[in-house]
Order: sequence, then C-alpha cells, then structure tokens
Amino acid sequence: MEEQNNTGLRRAAEIYRHRGLRARQLKEEGKKIFGYFCCYPPIELLTALDITPIRVLGNMDEPVTEADDYLPPVMCIFCRSAFDLGMKAQYNYFDGFVGAHACDGAERTSFIWQNYIHSPCNFQLDVPHTAHGPALTFFKEQIALFQKTLETFCGTQIHPDDLRQAIALHNRQRALVRELYGLRKPNPPLVSGTEMLQVLIAVMSIPVTEGNDLLQAVINEVTTRANPHAPKHRLLIWGSLIDHAAFTELIESSGFNIVVEDTAIGTRPFWHDIEMTADPLDGISDHYLNEVLCPRTFRETGPSYQADSDARFNYLKEFAKHWNVDGVFANIIRNCDIHGYEVPVIKDYLNAIGLPVLVIEQDYSTAALEPLRTRFEAFAESIDGY
Amino acid sequence: MTKNKIKTKKSNKTLETAREAGYFGKKMLESAIRAQDEGKPIGWSMANWWEGDIIAKAMGVNLVYPENWGAFCASIRRAEPFLEISDGEGFPNTLCGYARNNIGFAKTLKENDFVIPADAPGGGLAKPIMMLASGAACDARYKWFQSLGRYLDGVPVWMLELPQTGAREFFLPENKANNLKFIVKELKLLIRFLEDLLKCKMDDAKLEAMVDQAFKTLGLAHEVDLLRRNVPSPMVSQDFWSIMIPHFYLPDDPEAYEFYQRVYAEVKHKVDNGIGAIPNEKYRMMFGELPPWHSIGFFDDIAERYGIAMVMESWNYHAPTPLPEEEIDGVTDPLERIARLCYHKYTEYNPAALKYAVAPSYFSAPFLEYAEIYRTDGFMAHPLMSCRPATYTLMQTLQRLEEKRLVPGVVVNGDIIDLRVFNLEEAYSKVEAFTETMDHYRELRRKAGMAW
Ligand code: SF4
Ligand code: SF4
Repeated sequence: MEEQNNTGLRRAAEIYRHRGLRARQLKEEGKKIFGYFCCYPPIELLTALDITPIRVLGNMDEPVTEADDYLPPVMCIFCRSAFDLGMKAQYNYFDGFVGAHACDGAERTSFIWQNYIHSPCNFQLDVPHTAHGPALTFFKEQIALFQKTLETFCGTQIHPDDLRQAIALHNRQRALVRELYGLRKPNPPLVSGTEMLQVLIAVMSIPVTEGNDLLQAVINEVTTRANPHAPKHRLLIWGSLIDHAAFTELIESSGFNIVVEDTAIGTRPFWHDIEMTADPLDGISDHYLNEVLCPRTFRETGPSYQADSDARFNYLKEFAKHWNVDGVFANIIRNCDIHGYEVPVIKDYLNAIGLPVLVIEQDYSTAALEPLRTRFEAFAESIDGY
Repeated sequence: MTKNKIKTKKSNKTLETAREAGYFGKKMLESAIRAQDEGKPIGWSMANWWEGDIIAKAMGVNLVYPENWGAFCASIRRAEPFLEISDGEGFPNTLCGYARNNIGFAKTLKENDFVIPADAPGGGLAKPIMMLASGAACDARYKWFQSLGRYLDGVPVWMLELPQTGAREFFLPENKANNLKFIVKELKLLIRFLEDLLKCKMDDAKLEAMVDQAFKTLGLAHEVDLLRRNVPSPMVSQDFWSIMIPHFYLPDDPEAYEFYQRVYAEVKHKVDNGIGAIPNEKYRMMFGELPPWHSIGFFDDIAERYGIAMVMESWNYHAPTPLPEEEIDGVTDPLERIARLCYHKYTEYNPAALKYAVAPSYFSAPFLEYAEIYRTDGFMAHPLMSCRPATYTLMQTLQRLEEKRLVPGVVVNGDIIDLRVFNLEEAYSKVEAFTETMDHYRELRRKAGMAW
C-alpha cells in the first residue's frame, strides 16, 4: 500500500483495493474488529465500545471454491463469495461476527459462517420482516440483547453518552455521504459511480472517524478539481448491491454516468440519520427497521396496486427528479429473491413515471461482465428515443 | 441441464390410510370454490406452522394454500404452462417454483375476469379477499404474495411475522419471553385486521375449540412419528407426504383428527406385528427437503431394488414434540397457546443445533437427532433449483451428519416443480453406489460403539 497520508479519492481507492489492511493494522495495535453482514446490524454499538465494524463483502474477481462444500450453487453468489473469502481466511482478523436476518441468503450465510468460521464473539440479530409496532418493540429488544452480548464480551458496559457520541459520528458519516451524493447532481456529476463505490467501500472498511475524515477530504477534492467527467446518460441503479469497480467501470464506459444507487452499498445505509432519542436504542431500532429501505422489509399493502407501488417506491421518484435520471438499471444478482420478486412491479412503477428500465440478472463474476457491455450500450441508445 | 428421462410413475403408498389422504387436499380446494359460490370469504395462505391460519379460519375465512396447490400441479404435470406465464411476465425463472406456478395462475385468473378456467388443475383456486403471508422459513412467503398485487389488485396482504431466533441467542435470558410476547401481539394485530376486513368479531369460544383440536391432532401426528422409530419401519416417506396434509394444513378439523386415529391404528398394527412398509428393509434413510413431486415413484423403485426405506424426512412438515407440561399448564389464552406452539416448533432443536454446530436449528439440527432416533444409515439430499431456502443448509447437514454421526449422504439433484433437472437413471446409479457407502459407514459406527 502506498503512503498512508494519501488523501481523498486516491486513499479511498487504496483502501478499496486492500480492504482488510487498515483493520489488520488496528488489530495489531490491540483494537477489536467485528465483521457484519448487510445494512442491518447497528454498528453504532460497536463504535461505542471502540470496536471497528467491517462490512463483509464478496469478491467478483475470485472464483468461489472453498464455499462449494458448505453453500449450494443455487444460493445468491454474493453470499457464497463472502463466505468463500471467510473460509479462505481473508477475514481471519475478526474478533466477532454479527449476522442478521436480513434476507434468507444473508441469514443462512451468517449462521453457517458462525458454524465454520470461528470468531470469539458471535451474534445473530433477528430482524423482523414487518414494520408493525410490535415488530419495532421486538427489534429493540433484540438490539438490547446484542448490546448485552457485546458488553459481556468486552467486559465493560456501554455508557449512554458513548452510544450517543457513536450515533453522532455515524450520523455525521451519513450526512457526509449525502453531501457527496449531492455532488453527483450536476451534469456531468463531480463524482463518478466508480469513485463513489470505492469511497463507500472504503468507509465501511475503516473506523468511523477515519471514514469521516476521508469523506471530508474527498468532498474537498472533488469540489476543487477540474471535473474529469463528461456528460452522459444519467443512470440510477436499483437492486442487489455492486461491490466491484469493474462493474461500475463497465457501465460507465458504456454510455452512462451512474448518479445514484438505491442499493446496500449506496443510499440505503446512509439516507437517514438516527434520531437522538432519550433511550438511544429507540432511535437505533426505528432507523434500522423503518428507514433502511430494502424491499426485504414488508410494508403494509395499500388499497390498490398503484397506491401500494406509490407508497413503496415514491422515494425513487424523488431520486429520479433530483438527480435528473434518464434510465434505471435493475441489478439482480442471480438468486436474490428479495429483488427478483420486485422486477415486474419496479418496471411498472418506473415506466409509469417515464423511466426506461434495464433488468439484468447477473452472476457476480468479473469474468462474466464483458458480455453485458452490449446490453448497456443498447440501453444507452434506446434512452435517446425514450 | 439434463434431458428429461422421468417415468410418469405415481408412488405406491404402503398405508391404506395414506391412500385416503387425498381427500383433504380436495376438501380444501372444493370448500373454497363452494365458499365462492356462496359469497363467503376466501383467503390464500402460506403454510405458517399453525400461527395464523387457525385464526383466519376461526373468523370464517376459507383458506387455500397456493404452495400446496403448486405441489399438486407438479404431481400431475400441469405446472409448466403457469411457469411460462410467470417467466413471460418478467419474474426471474429462478424464483420458487410454487410461486411461479401461482403467479401464472393468478394472471390467468385475472384475464378470465376471476372466473376459474374450467380446466384448472384440481378445480383451481378461487379469488381471495385477503392473502396471509408469513415471515417464517423463507422470503418467498411474503415477497410472492406481495408481487401478486399486480393481478389481484386491491386484495390486501397481511404479513404475519414468526420470529426466528438464533440457536445461541435462544438461551439468552429474556429472549424467549420477548419472542412469545411478540408473537401474541402479532396475532392480535392479525385479528384486528381480519375484524376490520370482515366486519365481524372473533368468536373466542370457537377459536379456543379449534386450538384445542389442533393441539390434539398435532399430538397424535407426533405419536405416529414416534412409531416410525421401529425397525422395520412401519411407514415410509411416500406415505408421509400424503398424510401430512391434514395435520399441516387442517389440524383444527375434527376429520383430520379422526383420520389420524385411523393412521395411528394402522401403523401401530404394523409395529405390533413386525410388518415393514417395504419388504426386506435393508437400509434406513432420511430425506431432505422437499421431494420431486413429479417423480415420487422413484422412492418405490429404490425400495424395491435396494431395500431402501425412507424412514424420516424434513423437520418442516412434522408436528412438533408436545409442549412440555410446564410450558402449557394453566395457559388458557388461545393466542398464548398458539405462540408457545409455534415458538416451540421453531426452537426445539436449538440445543442440538449448538451441540452439533449446525445453526440455524431449523432444517439441519433435527436430522442430526433423527440419525440416531430413527437408526438411519444414510441421508438423501435433494437440492432444489427453485426452493433455495430448503436447499441452503443441505450441504451443512451432509457434512455434519457424516462428521458427527457417521451417517453418509448422497446428493440427488432435482426440483419440486421443474422436470428438467431430475435425471432418473443418474439418480439410480448414484443410489446404487451409495448402498456400499452405507455398508461401510455401518461398520464405522459399529467400531465407534454407536448405538445403531
Ligand atoms: S437483499 Fe436486501 S437484505 Fe438481502 S443482502 Fe441485499 S440489501 Fe441486504
Ligand atoms: S421457496 Fe421453498 S419454502 Fe419458500 S414458498 Fe417456495 S417451496 Fe415453500
């Protein structure tokens, strides 16, 4: 890795390329590191105990080999890939692992992870599928159990002030990410999709304070540099996550600027702040259950199909308006049921508000990316006539 | 994908009573159609491990289960056209086969102004006034019903959550109380939703009677499971997959209870007289998870050819062990009783899950216990292309059975609905070779001083 005093985008790219490096350094300094899956574990509790939360991701570049004996091929390959990296000891610096009942794939992978990749501390967070009032109470109780588990493991209690401070730090991070998103509103955007991906993965791989410094440095850099990007079709990505820059590079070299991502490494973890409530767990539980907008959480159906779609997806209309979106890429990692069931409704909804949609079910492999180029190029051409 | 080489052979159920069980599937479908004619409310429901369906039925809703209907369509090879419609609508063809079948049917129904097409399999599914989704076991159980809004415009989906605690977390103080409290509150919300929808009040006495009946039926179904421990096995999976319908979907129905009394008597008679379900039982195997409904005759063939009795199958469809007395004594509120039943069903194998490191406890851990209880020689894993949730943990089950119980496994690929992925010849040759493996491990268990 190059000099640590690289700042801004260059540092983000370095951290992105060597995701575990900073965590390993911290570990050597005696800090505790926990891994977590998807957007649901409340990482503020970890920060409050001076534990660095590291988001578990896969690697589209690395063939799945070790996971084959544990997770079947019909499973979402992002989950298989993440577990494969775990089995290959790429996350062997974790002092703990927090799994969550985010979706079937994430839930089963988290369990199997805990069975085969042994960390000193483990917790499985049951996240209700509904947002009914009792579900919120139950979720808060689950988070309280998580807190107790952490406290027992660390041999120290979380002081409410420390938790409030952790919430403030993560809210600051959310605000900085949103500010960066704002810099993608101009045409051309000041930040590309690839740069954004690298920054977001970087901040998920380092302590929150370092992430906030990094974000601030990136914002300073992109607002003062000569914008290297050219105007192109403006693309919103919805669906399964993308965690490899080869994919965003392919899209952005096929006639698009990615301007906003409604995915788990995009707006979802960052779009809303946690409210500072008298009992911090109230704000935390409400945020993770109600404000992280993955379609894995069931929202009450409306009186009609249209009303239901409006209620569930109107935030996408807002994104489209504010980021002046020309088209939408619905990214489905093959076997991701959560997004798979939504394909026709999301197309209905977005087409009705005048947005063309390209749906691709893909196999989460850089080796399988190039054949997608013609589809993106054809989509870019079709947008002109839309 | 392999070429379709499947014989259209139905299974020979070994129990007389299993041959009667088709009545219950028909009864569910027919009563919904009759209800439609009489203007009574119809609901589509996911199997929810007795959490919510008894409540809906107590409120007068006639429930049908599209999942079960999907298995029926597959068994008579009528699913394909519906699957194609679903694919044509843009739903990925990797989704649950039952869901795709039902989505295809829902579109057909809508296009026919909600008049069931005359040739619909089993008489088809009447249009519901509500859909009861479930948070238990798999995401398809709510995402699928949610997606039907496109075809059943304005039909509300009620999502009933069933919490699923981790094996380790199960033992944390307060967790059980939190779970039970949550389930009861969810049930109260369901009742409120139904009361608003149907404009009538819950009849508490009726609910109580139905819950009592369900407990009795499930208790008896479990007694039948206990009889299956005997060697030779008095019944096999081919029987179970027929007789499960009454206890899984209709435990509150007195007819289901009477039916189980007859099943119990028949199975007990066989046990008392040492009569095995198959002649010359040589190997005792377990099966996970859902079977290839279109080719159930395969199990008869391997029984005949190799003396393989499928003595136990997936935890999912079985009645739980009865609730310990201290759990239920003095608990009279039917909602609390339901909560305790469902919670028990989903957590009773947590100690085993920790012991064998196979969390989540559902799906995997029961097989680790069944291995000894049912004195099994092998495990047949049937990874499904279209039911991933039942497939995710199969590799882990195979691994741990071999490692911790010296029970080997064989993988036979297939699907619940899709005919293309099941290759009968390949399956036979795998099973034939596997008999030697079972012999070998029998010897290993003997040397290790294991009890079977
Ligand atoms: S589908 Fe939703 S819950 Fe599952 S991994 Fe993706 S973002 Fe997370
Ligand atoms: S995915 Fe499997 S468990 Fe879920 S509804 Fe379909 S068949 Fe049933």
